[in-house]
Amino acid sequence: MPKDSPVDPRGPRFSAWMTTAILAIVLVTGWWRLLAAQTVLFAMCAFISLKLNPWGHVYRYAIQPRLTPTTEREEAAPLRFAQGVGFVFALIGTLGYATGLTTLGMVATGLALVAALLNAALGLCLGCEMYLVLRRFVPALARPQ
Amino acid sequence: MTGVWALLGALAAAGAIGVLLKVREGRISRAKDSIDLPAPVRDLLAPGVTLVQLSTTFCAPCRHAKVVLRDLADRTDGLTHAELDVTNLPDVTTRLGVMRTPTTIALKPDGTEVLRVGGVPKRDSLLAALRPHLP
Repeated sequence: MPKDSPVDPRGPRFSAWMTTAILAIVLVTGWWRLLAAQTVLFAMCAFISLKLNPWGHVYRYAIQPRLTPTTEREEAAPLRFAQGVGFVFALIGTLGYATGLTTLGMVATGLALVAALLNAALGLCLGCEMYLVLRRFVPALARPQ
Repeated sequence: MTGVWALLGALAAAGAIGVLLKVREGRISRAKDSIDLPAPVRDLLAPGVTLVQLSTTFCAPCRHAKVVLRDLADRTDGLTHAELDVTNLPDVTTRLGVMRTPTTIALKPDGTEVLRVGGVPKRDSLLAALRPHLP
């Protein structure tokens, strides 16, 4: 898995707002194809590179130049882990909606939205802080030594 | 219409979780009953009080906690800061009863726990709580 460089922390916050908006649209409309697209986006960022996130490009070219420069940087590993958690919930949501299990789709999408909104509004990465709990249930999360 | 209610529910849940986490952030809790410390933690103990910060690779706020604790330790006699990456040490966190990172445990040289803090510690309140235990 390629390693990403540390990033301006305001970029992921902007991206989280966009993700929150997308998940809100999915919840209200039940448009599962949009959720499927978000699932693919989560997967690309988690398993390939954060550079594939289009919202990151929007931030860099349209928003960052208007903001005060910052030297603060955030490590990429927590961000990619969060994208991986988002991928799992979005995938379950997509499968739920697509197979007619709408309640499952809504619950999974709602949980992903909660995590995205907490990240966007407060900078909290729920999945990252709960890594120890998640790992107890999913031993495969263990990093190779 | 169900989707709108689901959205409102998710927004309310996010609000509640956000408030809860913010209230708990940096809160000092009482020491757990004495336990047999895992070796990777025991190895970090120094004279005075050691702040053992448990972190993982995926923990963004751990970096902020490290800055606060390192600065506090540098300015306080008898206080040492040590960080332990528990990403691949689940046995350690289970034995310590730690569910989230960062968690900071203040320990005496004999392994007695003084207090623990969940989240990024608040410098002044942490120092006040540690004062009676410092040399």
